[in-house]
Amino acid sequence: MSRILRIELRRSAALWAGLILLVAGVVMCYVAPQRWSSGWMALAMIEREYLMAMAPLALSAGAWQGRRESRAGLSELVESTPRPRLQRVLPVLGALGLAVIGGYLAVLAVTAPWIAGTARYLPAAAFAVVTVGALTVAAAAWLGIAVGRLWPSIAAGPVLACAGIGWLMGFPAAARGQQWLGMLFSPMYGMSQFSDYETVSGRLTAAQAVWLVALVVTVYVLHGAERRRARMAALLPLVLGVAVAITVLPHDRSVEHAIDPVAQELVCTTDAPKVCVARVHSALLPEVTPQARQALALLARLPQPPAEAHEDTATWGSGVPEPGPDPAGVALMTFAVDARGHLAFPDDLVPRTVGRVLANVGRCPGGLDSSILRAATYWLVGTEPPDEPGVDDDRWNDHVRQLWQGLRKLPEARALARVTAVREGALRCADLEGMLSDA
Amino acid sequence: MRMVRAADTAPTAYPWIVQADGLRVKAGTHLAVDGLDLALGTGVHALLGPNGAGKTTLMRALATVVKPVGGTLTVLGAPVHGRAELRRVRRALGYLPQHFGFYPRFTVREFVEYVAWLKEMPKPEVPAAVQRAIDRVGLAAKADARMKTLSGGMLRRAGIAQAIVNDPELLLLDEPTVGLDPEQRLDFRELLRDLGVDSCVLVSTHLVEDVVAACTDVVLLNEGRLVHSGTTASLIAEGGSSDAGDSPAERGYSALLRRHRAEAGR
Amino acid sequence: MRWLTLYLRSRRVPAALAGAAAGIAVMWVLGAATSDSAPGRTMVVLTVLLLTGVLTATLGGPDEELDRTAALPWAPRRIAHLLAAVTVVAGLPLLTQLTPTGFGPAGLVIRDAAGLLGLTALSAPLLGAGRAWFAPLGWTLAATIYPAAGQVLGQMLTWQTQAPGNVPAAVTAATLACGGLIAYAVAGPARHERSDAATVVMARAWRGQAG
Repeated sequence: MSRILRIELRRSAALWAGLILLVAGVVMCYVAPQRWSSGWMALAMIEREYLMAMAPLALSAGAWQGRRESRAGLSELVESTPRPRLQRVLPVLGALGLAVIGGYLAVLAVTAPWIAGTARYLPAAAFAVVTVGALTVAAAAWLGIAVGRLWPSIAAGPVLACAGIGWLMGFPAAARGQQWLGMLFSPMYGMSQFSDYETVSGRLTAAQAVWLVALVVTVYVLHGAERRRARMAALLPLVLGVAVAITVLPHDRSVEHAIDPVAQELVCTTDAPKVCVARVHSALLPEVTPQARQALALLARLPQPPAEAHEDTATWGSGVPEPGPDPAGVALMTFAVDARGHLAFPDDLVPRTVGRVLANVGRCPGGLDSSILRAATYWLVGTEPPDEPGVDDDRWNDHVRQLWQGLRKLPEARALARVTAVREGALRCADLEGMLSDA
Repeated sequence: MRMVRAADTAPTAYPWIVQADGLRVKAGTHLAVDGLDLALGTGVHALLGPNGAGKTTLMRALATVVKPVGGTLTVLGAPVHGRAELRRVRRALGYLPQHFGFYPRFTVREFVEYVAWLKEMPKPEVPAAVQRAIDRVGLAAKADARMKTLSGGMLRRAGIAQAIVNDPELLLLDEPTVGLDPEQRLDFRELLRDLGVDSCVLVSTHLVEDVVAACTDVVLLNEGRLVHSGTTASLIAEGGSSDAGDSPAERGYSALLRRHRAEAGR
Repeated sequence: MRWLTLYLRSRRVPAALAGAAAGIAVMWVLGAATSDSAPGRTMVVLTVLLLTGVLTATLGGPDEELDRTAALPWAPRRIAHLLAAVTVVAGLPLLTQLTPTGFGPAGLVIRDAAGLLGLTALSAPLLGAGRAWFAPLGWTLAATIYPAAGQVLGQMLTWQTQAPGNVPAAVTAATLACGGLIAYAVAGPARHERSDAATVVMARAWRGQAG
């Protein structure tokens, strides 16, 4: 068997299929590396999203192989041989299955070096996510072979590919609001992360594995069954698998955007002042620490300054409670990971952190005057306020600069007093109008 | 000559390698073999007959590809109807179909190895048996060439190689000399004589010279029925100078057919 | 007329037309079932791709070498074949516009049909009729996954999914259509496929009629 498997690997469409999957996956990943540069889980999930292209390609490759088998015309010769059909089909199925799984995993091998230096957190769930993806491409390839054998037309390839992409993208849309159903049967759906702490719910993975394994078994029996009745019986494992999968999965919103609490845990520096980041960003701690400590130093001039800087690991979504006010004594930081896995916009971290401490972010129902807060922030930081990205209004930006220059003209103590007043006003959600200008 | 295994030296439990009684086989909806009685033992048997006589259907029935709809057919002592013994029978079978399908991207060696695996040959024996089969058909130079690069005659020889790789007791060759040049046909006749010593070889062919040169007996079919079964000498004896044909065997052939059609017409 | 019938049968056109009709019917039912308004652009593009894929099989006959030995000139016939194909691929979705779930807009359908068929016709002389669907499938798959960027190059690369009035996309589609038409008419499909005995007999029959 192993010799025949090797022959099939060399001579069938298997290696080409694996190569196509590899190239497609690598190209898709590297076109937008910022989508997965934050860590291993992100890479696993984004590769699952690119099943959108890889599964249809696997389907077409299977259809191509099935057509070749059918056109070779060996059926008469093969029927006179003793080896039972279940064993006979194993080399072809095995070769293509191994090749597409190899292609899928090779994408990971090629993209892993990109984040090998900066990704530290490798949860077991990542392996489960990759396994479901590998099962999907293998099932798609085997299904393609079955269709290609039954319908050995040139059109089988493109039609199957369209059907595949139609299913993967269309089924969640058709499931109309039942997100759990869409995520269960379309393994590429729901894989874009809203936050870096996201993971894939274990129950979802288990349910997907169940129905995918059932599909694989069904397709294998379809290939290997000699009699029509056995082929009819082949549908039984699939029905059973789908039923079990639907039962295992909770039918509420808890499967969407599941948060991994271990990824959210804070990892801190050992010396003071303490700077903490989430575990998933733990490789960024050396880059974040100097900036965070600089911000803490700048804030030390205010009364009751924060002593520690933590990453803000709050997430939003259904079922997650509203985050409370920023804890006293802690400066919360938000930052992103850039395409290379390092800190994105490093120059922005200090003003952002200082501004957040000053501004009592988002807790005041009426909102606070952002131009005053911005001017005060940049006075503390000591640099000229740049144009706020996303605000086109030049007058607003000029107003901010005006306020800032007004503060700079004042002597240190008076400016500090005004900024302190702004801070206390923000804590009380008072109206900040005119606090920075000469009254 | 073929390798002698322990099972071969045991006395056979069956009198004939192929035994058919009133065999009826359908090809699609048409009854191609209609009440055939046949008994074949060791040797090279030729299967002659006009197109549509049911030769290919008979071959397919003997190769256990098609199930008969009537009568009994016993191959290597096992009835074809029973599923249990079919595996044993198929291991000792060699078949070259008329429309020989192959995987174009496989090399000759890989293809014969593949068929050896399909015939459940024991793994240690396979490489030697494959090489031997390829040598016997004269394809040793082309053993590692892809099958799509082979000419028609070489493909046919590759087909013969896959049929003999497991040293079968019953070898069924449907039109094996298609595309072979005269020299290769001579080599093939030599091979047939060699094979016929220990196994039952049934060759379906239109080339009467091959029949006379290599075959020990002749089975003549017409419209699914047996017209004549006997040695090649008996075939030649049936013909006279007034019958159509350029050789004694061809004259015998046309004489037998003419007589059979006349009887059927009555 | 006899020649035309035999030609269509040798290219398996009736089966392809039936498949195309079934395809548009299935997509129409899916479109009606999954959304209340007209189907989205992605669905329309995928439908046109599906129809193109079904008709790709008709670009080559069973024995290309045999076809090339014919005395009659192939170029006008191939051009007519392509024009008929584009009519079918564009016409079937446009027919659905008579219903509430119409596949459109018309400009998008026509542009994508012409462009995708042109790309298929361009690949046929290079790769053979059997492999001509690789390029349209791969390109359209990539275009649906990475929808339009703002720049001209991005719009050209994802021309299938651009809005109907988009100029770079239209130019790309027109180039592919014309290039494919010329290449296929002049060169014909590449000689890759092995012949199937029964259809060779049929192909010989219609050649005999014409010669």
